[in-house]
Amino acid sequence: MAELNIVEKVIALEAVDLLKNLNPDQLARIASIATEERHPPGKTVIEPEKPQDALYVVLDGAVEISRNRAPLHTARQNEVLGAWALFDTDPLAVSAATVEDTRLLRIARADFYDLLSDNMEITASIFSTLVKRFRQLVEQ
Amino acid sequence: MRHLKRLWRDFFDIREGELARTALMSLYLMCVLFAYYIVKVVSRAMFVANFNPDKLPWLYILIAAFGGMFAYGYTRLAIRTSLGTAVNAAIGFFIGTLVLLWWILGFKVDWTLYVFNVYTSLIGIVLVSQGWLVAANVFNPREAKRLYGILGLGAVLGAAFGGTFAAIVAQYVDAHNLVLAAAFMVLLAFFCYRGAVRRTGASLSRTRAIGEEDADFSLGYVARAVGKFRHLQVIVAIIAITYIVDVMIEFQLNAQAKLAFGEDTKAITRFLGAFYGIYLNIATVIFQGFLTGFIVSRLGIGGALQIMPITIIGASLFNFFHPRLLTAGAARLLEASTRYTFNRTGMELLFLPLPIDLKNRTKAFMDIFVDRLSRGIGGIILVLLTDWLVLEKYPHRVSLLVIGFAVVWIFLSERGRREYIATVRKRLETRRLDFDVARLKVRDPATIRLLEQTIESDNPRQAAYALRLLAGASGYAIQPRLASLAGSPHGEVRTAVFEIARTARTPDLLEQALAETRSSRGGDRNSAVAPAVAYALTVSPDPRDLARRLLDHPSYLVVSSVLEWLADQPEMAQDVVTLEWLAACADSGDPERRALAAIAVAARGDHGTEALHKLLGDPDTTVAKEAIRTAGKLRERVYLADVIRHLADAKTRGAAIDALAAFGVRVSGTLADLLEDDSVAVAIRRQIPRILQAQGDQRAVDVLLRNITQRDLTVRAAVLRALQRIRENKPNLNYGGVSVQRQILDEAKYYYELNAALAPFCDKRGQRGPAGLLAATLEERLRLTLERMFHLLGLRYPPREVYAAYLAVNRGRREEVSHALEFLDNILERELKRIMMPLIDSEDRAAHHGSELFGIEVKDAATAIRELIRSGDDWLASCAMATAAELRLGALRPEIEEASRTAGPVASRVAGDALAQMA
Repeated sequence: MAELNIVEKVIALEAVDLLKNLNPDQLARIASIATEERHPPGKTVIEPEKPQDALYVVLDGAVEISRNRAPLHTARQNEVLGAWALFDTDPLAVSAATVEDTRLLRIARADFYDLLSDNMEITASIFSTLVKRFRQLVEQ
Repeated sequence: MRHLKRLWRDFFDIREGELARTALMSLYLMCVLFAYYIVKVVSRAMFVANFNPDKLPWLYILIAAFGGMFAYGYTRLAIRTSLGTAVNAAIGFFIGTLVLLWWILGFKVDWTLYVFNVYTSLIGIVLVSQGWLVAANVFNPREAKRLYGILGLGAVLGAAFGGTFAAIVAQYVDAHNLVLAAAFMVLLAFFCYRGAVRRTGASLSRTRAIGEEDADFSLGYVARAVGKFRHLQVIVAIIAITYIVDVMIEFQLNAQAKLAFGEDTKAITRFLGAFYGIYLNIATVIFQGFLTGFIVSRLGIGGALQIMPITIIGASLFNFFHPRLLTAGAARLLEASTRYTFNRTGMELLFLPLPIDLKNRTKAFMDIFVDRLSRGIGGIILVLLTDWLVLEKYPHRVSLLVIGFAVVWIFLSERGRREYIATVRKRLETRRLDFDVARLKVRDPATIRLLEQTIESDNPRQAAYALRLLAGASGYAIQPRLASLAGSPHGEVRTAVFEIARTARTPDLLEQALAETRSSRGGDRNSAVAPAVAYALTVSPDPRDLARRLLDHPSYLVVSSVLEWLADQPEMAQDVVTLEWLAACADSGDPERRALAAIAVAARGDHGTEALHKLLGDPDTTVAKEAIRTAGKLRERVYLADVIRHLADAKTRGAAIDALAAFGVRVSGTLADLLEDDSVAVAIRRQIPRILQAQGDQRAVDVLLRNITQRDLTVRAAVLRALQRIRENKPNLNYGGVSVQRQILDEAKYYYELNAALAPFCDKRGQRGPAGLLAATLEERLRLTLERMFHLLGLRYPPREVYAAYLAVNRGRREEVSHALEFLDNILERELKRIMMPLIDSEDRAAHHGSELFGIEVKDAATAIRELIRSGDDWLASCAMATAAELRLGALRPEIEEASRTAGPVASRVAGDALAQMA
């Protein structure tokens, strides 16, 4: 399967909750720094206790998330892994490994920061999403 | 046919969901006016036939006195209960009393004619004003502006039928029997009112004229409201003049009728019935049905309010020079017809922007009480003038007085228009908050004691603030306090101590200041270091030597503070900061030393050194930023190119913008060249408007205005934002009206083009996939285009208010949008209004307006995609090609193949995928 073009990447990114306030032009800019990765079954994508430096969107396939080898959730198409890694360098307490042939879209934190520093309106939109999410948590 | 449809829509623009409400409210007003005109014609004819004209002014005074009392009682009822209850009660009251009056009039006693006339004056004004009040709650301001003309038409038809009915039937039956017919029409009005309210959805039982805190409504409240709101003052003044003039002109007509017909009741009834029922209403129908809406939408509220006084001046002049029943009738005809049409609509609009509670609380009172009082004043004036001017024989002499009032009225109308716009603006700006910081002035001993306690507190911020206030207190000995606080554990407090001591040039704290510098280490963030260094250098007996010694201090903070202080002592800086020291720092491997070198160049100047060029290209962001700041301070053109390059780097961009702004007008030409040069990177060009904005002079504005047509939309948006910010701060600069208007029209055309392109994909909105993405992109482009248009409008009209209107339109809340539209409708010039208003007002009909205004027709999917592929916008073209592949539009292959060869790499890749998918 050929690598995704920019329109297909944007369509994939539209499903990311963290980016849902962004308009298509802004998503296209993020898509331009997103790279596609292909992994066979059993490949560890997120290792516990190791700092994360990227966010992943599952394009197709499946990734199992587990803690202490106990499965928590299996992420499938359009689901996101490590969204908070974009803002927090602390390692996660979970691991994630592919359970079948899987394609992922990867956004590296360093590239993402460069993009934000040049696109204030994207930063503002993401802040807005984070604030809304925080407010929901507080109201719960 | 199309022209006819357009004509119809211009006059009667009833939209989906509005027909039933409009028809029922119109019928309600028609029934009420029918009843009113029956009793009006009969009561006045009976009075004129039975009494001489000199009794008429007394009748007006009686109407004022009793009407005022009744109005007050009625207003209390309306305010204490819901609007719905008030309307029900009033209708019930009038049906009952009309039947009672019919019975009393049968006894044919003179005083009953006074009662009949007083009563008649109440019935129309109460029920009609209630009708308009209900209408204000049934329709929003925007709907009202379109539909009030139709409601007024219902009122005019009611008056026509009522007057004519009275004139005809009075020939066959005793006049007083017509009162029963009036009662029946009021009953019909009640059913129409109920139907209209039921279809509104909003319950009038919840529409209280006042809140709970104001349940004890009083005359004082209305007086306070009028005293507080200038808008209401103008309304009161206009209503007062309207009815004073009304009484005078009516007096002329009745007096001339008496002179012409004597005591012939039937003849007077026939004349007044025909006058009010036919002639008056033909004029009113023409004005209301075909001119009022047109005039209001073209001339605005000010024009609508001025038509009546201007007309009255003309008619009164004619009547004065040719006094007879015909000319008095003509004056009355024009006065009454313009009052029911232009003036009524203008006044209702004048009320609209007021807060709904205030509007409901005062409107009934204004319509009834101010009306009565003004008629009473009119009556008193006539009583006073009757003998002097011999009005019984020469009633036309009142015309001169009428002309005088009408002139004042014209000025009041213009004032009303201004107040109306000001009120709309205030409502739009409600969301803006301004904070005023009040400075505390220390004078009394109690405050001094409080501040002394505060500086000893554990809260360093409060302590430092209190210390500064004490230092500013006249006659207060601050030195002892400074000495004790110089040892405070809080850096913020010590900062205040050294700053105050430096200002006072008190040398006592030198040791403490030097201790502060000695304790500073690399990476130190102690805020007291810089003020301690500045203080020590200021009070030191040998600052040159001290500065030289401190330059070798290991702390960056200490050295940079010395250099900052030396920047104000250029001669000493030349001596202390040697070229050798500078070169050593500039060549250091330590970025902090290189940053110090950059600061040092600012302090001593760049004579004899090329260090700054090198530092401007330093890979370390901190060093580069300091070098940029120094370039801004030196303002030497040789550094311009180096600084401009930093505009493309997000990390140093802020410093570069500040530095270039500091260069001032000397670099406006260079910046203009860069902005206009398409070969310069967009990342740089997009920042130039911010620099010009910081410069904020006419030259910067001129450069920005030349670039409002920039091809790159992000650059264009930046240009417009910068222009708007400058305009907010410097409204008196020239913002090039004609070119801005032209650009607004171009943007509007582009908006309609985008909308036409979006039309075939509207059903794809919200869907995942290329077509959904294309629809979302086009919608975003529409939003940005609208934003640019508002930025442009902000260059021609008050920018804050225009921005508030944009936010209101963007938020899309119904009432806010209505107020925003109302505001724009009143400030925009005709040509702009013609283009802009349909675009904002009826977004759902944008395609229709695009066709009507610019001949832009909605496209089919293939045509829209073809044009988007050729648009030159890589992202739009990419979405369009992916959509073509998704929709299997094989006819577009040639365009996609061409794009795959000529577009940028990203779009070419999408084109290749689209072709593969279509194969």
